[in-house]
Amino acid sequence: MIPFAQYLRGLASDGDLVTIDESADVPPDVVAAEALRASGPALRYRRADGVDLASGMFSGPDQMQRRESKSWSRLALGFGLSPDASFVAVLDTIAGLGPSGGDADPTYAGQTASRTVDSVQDLNLPQGTEDVWPSLTLGVASVSSSEGSHWAPIHGSVVSDDKLRVRTPTALSSLLDDDGTLSIALGVPPAAVATAYLLAVTGCVDVPVQACGVADDVPLVPTNGGLVPSATEIVVETTVADRHPDFQSDRREAWEHGVASTPLSLSVERVIATDDPVIPFSPVGRPLADDLQLTGLATAAMLYRRVNDYWGISPIEWVLLPAEAELGICFVATNILYAGFEWQLANLLFTFSSLFDTVIIVDEGVSPRDFGRVLGDIWVKAHPSRDWIFSEPSAPAAKRPRYRRDGTTGARLYVNAAWDPRWEDSYIAPRVSFERSFPVSVRDAARKTWNDRHDAAAGDGD
Amino acid sequence: MSADSFRKYLRLLEDEDALVSFAESVSWDLEASAVTTLANRTDGEIPIFESVEETTIDAALVGDPYRGPQCRPWEHLARAFELPPGLSGAAYYEAVIDRLRSPREPRIVDRNAAPCKDVVHTGTDVDLLSIPWPYIHRGDGGRYSNLHTVVGPDPKTRWGHWSSHRMMIHDDDLASLLFLAGEQAPNLYYYEYEPREEPMPVAVVLGTEPAVQCSTEMWIPNGRSEAVFAGGLKDGPVDLVPCETNDLYVPATAELVLEGRVLPNERLDEGPFGDYFGYMNGPRRSMPVFAVDAITRRGEPRVPFCVEGTGVGYGQNSSSTLQTAAAGPDATLGLQAAGFDVALAVPWRFTSQTVWVIATDRPYPGYLHELANFIFTTWGMLHIDFFVFVDADVDPLDPRTVLTAIALEADPDADFHQFGVERMPKVPLNIYQTPDEKGSADVGTSKTKTAKAYIDATSDRPAGVSGGDEELRRRAQELLVDAGVSSEAFDLLEWGGDRSR
Repeated sequence: MIPFAQYLRGLASDGDLVTIDESADVPPDVVAAEALRASGPALRYRRADGVDLASGMFSGPDQMQRRESKSWSRLALGFGLSPDASFVAVLDTIAGLGPSGGDADPTYAGQTASRTVDSVQDLNLPQGTEDVWPSLTLGVASVSSSEGSHWAPIHGSVVSDDKLRVRTPTALSSLLDDDGTLSIALGVPPAAVATAYLLAVTGCVDVPVQACGVADDVPLVPTNGGLVPSATEIVVETTVADRHPDFQSDRREAWEHGVASTPLSLSVERVIATDDPVIPFSPVGRPLADDLQLTGLATAAMLYRRVNDYWGISPIEWVLLPAEAELGICFVATNILYAGFEWQLANLLFTFSSLFDTVIIVDEGVSPRDFGRVLGDIWVKAHPSRDWIFSEPSAPAAKRPRYRRDGTTGARLYVNAAWDPRWEDSYIAPRVSFERSFPVSVRDAARKTWNDRHDAAAGDGD
Repeated sequence: MSADSFRKYLRLLEDEDALVSFAESVSWDLEASAVTTLANRTDGEIPIFESVEETTIDAALVGDPYRGPQCRPWEHLARAFELPPGLSGAAYYEAVIDRLRSPREPRIVDRNAAPCKDVVHTGTDVDLLSIPWPYIHRGDGGRYSNLHTVVGPDPKTRWGHWSSHRMMIHDDDLASLLFLAGEQAPNLYYYEYEPREEPMPVAVVLGTEPAVQCSTEMWIPNGRSEAVFAGGLKDGPVDLVPCETNDLYVPATAELVLEGRVLPNERLDEGPFGDYFGYMNGPRRSMPVFAVDAITRRGEPRVPFCVEGTGVGYGQNSSSTLQTAAAGPDATLGLQAAGFDVALAVPWRFTSQTVWVIATDRPYPGYLHELANFIFTTWGMLHIDFFVFVDADVDPLDPRTVLTAIALEADPDADFHQFGVERMPKVPLNIYQTPDEKGSADVGTSKTKTAKAYIDATSDRPAGVSGGDEELRRRAQELLVDAGVSSEAFDLLEWGGDRSR
């Protein structure tokens, strides 16, 4: 388990975090969005007033160019994996944080946050360009039930010294008991925030964290609302002031595209913080925002596990809902087991997620690190008519895209950019690549010739 | 002044530390191509191989000389045309389009003043195999020249027609040319010269100045000359010189010129070859025969080649860069000239000749259909299968924003058009048809037809809704650069990777 503060230090030591002084005239969400747009490092905002902030902690560089670092590399580090960990290792780690079938063995530890903060407004949470109030994002809500503690994502606004307006999954708010206590953990270990997102997108908010894999990994501590990670930078203990508040906000974190959410008005009872707290925030609604990446990874982890569990075998190499496509397209690499398997697979994915209604299928040998190849193969390997398959126009519109918001039905689409298993081997066109287009002796000679003039190794994968 | 010869262009690359010279002996048989593949994959310098094994003349090979940096493919060519450094993609397109709006007539120079005539071999002195043609990929049908300008006759212009067709070497004076009907020069051969049983004069020109190579990649309307647009692009006349054995004119500063004839009713094997799709394509086919009558060249010619197939996905090579940096601005200008409200037309970076992205307004219902059909029936016929239309304020040079537009705006139910209709021609280089479907049609195209499609990824929101406060974004970028973040990826800074206009 990597506490958030340690995660920050890890990114800094890897050269993937830059500290900046907060500017009075440029809101942090604009700075965060520009860093993400440029595929820049994570940022820590040094502030004279209020808590320090961090952005880009759960996001990463886009995959539209060849880069050493991937969009999941930071989060891999936050999970205690190598930053070079494979995408599938990250998916497996996330999936393992969820419901464990009762095998989890929670550990408990003392609360790292022990300093009481007078007012939630003293935190001076970031206020975006379009925000009326300071906002909190990337929070983990915890509530208790007779089953245990339940986690889910939460975000909202600080409207006074002791009032918050938040949104959280309906599944969580429905678990609130009569006294309606809810704790918000800000600056939790990456595994904890990933768990909250995973539970939300899999519809498992009702599963207590004591029965989830995360409990094996993240030490917990009780609060008024429920268990939270002991290594939490800031805990805001609240009670529900209004379960049906009369306010509307356009702000939505990305998990809300596929998960029903409800507003709550909360009274702040207590705020406790570490001595030098740093909390993450996401420039919600901007490209590549942290909440978008987390939602994409959690959904991909869910789909990867469910699909590979479905037929008793594991034909799927990886599933990807890239933030670059705003979660509106699902990419999957698979072994096409038999003719027609691609149809089954695409429709199974549509069954398991309502976010998208376009699925792109590529061959099992395509690496998720080579998204550029995926973005080429779609158009080159798939026949423009035979391999772009539309359903009958009777499907409900997916929740993420912007079209057909009026509830009318329409078609779904899958693109089969994998080789047809019925083709003879001689029909399969060999790919042009360094590894395939040159014999070993030529590759060795070329590497020597090239590397003799260059310090950097040229042998990175295709 | 623009780089008005291939040598000056190479010196410009050297001055920019973008060229690496290998003095040690390298084989033309896959090795030069393998080293170039590494250079392309690692975004490294352009390799020049000064010493090529088993070559009877003192010639060098240059691997993918027009390849630009992966993040800014137009960079080297912008320098070659003396455009301001650090131009954003959109600014580069605008600058090139401005140049193309002012074509310049070429200038005829005396053969004694033409570097491409330093050495002249005709008749029995012609030895095609004296040139170090590279064997590019394992599995290719033979050694190839694939980065050149084919100069052919054009009854409507004095300067001839320039185009690009890969060429497979057969012996000391014969080669086969990939001539696909539907393109201008092959059409002339298949439907004019060959029926008359008349050889068609052509010249294959290698190592041209950048403006010539760029205009070769453009789709210049019939009756207009690529040579005058090359002059516009370089902002000065292109020097041309008459051929030795026919009436064509060729660029005088070229490194190497092969003069000859495409013979009627003669065919030689051509392919397979790893072409721009990123896959080896076959089967071996019969293609028209190019009989070489003369070779003229510089004393120590620099012979460029392209490792085709490495310009897909994340990679760049000469052909993908030329598509982005030359064909894109030309297409944008062409569509604007045809009356369409197109902001930018840009090849999809990950497979540049199969998909194009067009940012456009939609002034009336049915406009996109008209636009798509215009393109598919003119310059987009054989190679391009898909067009993706996005809003005019979406940057087609930013593939992330395009992918987002496809994901969020393109409704499978209403925005994918012309699928399921297999009525259109297709180059046999594709890999989604079986060899049987491709067949061996007499005029080059696949025997089996294909479908073309366009995707409407435009939104219904009014223009200008997205984008945010540009001044605020600029200040944020400055803040990040001050904190030590590299400026290269920022689009609004004066000396960032992109420069704002």
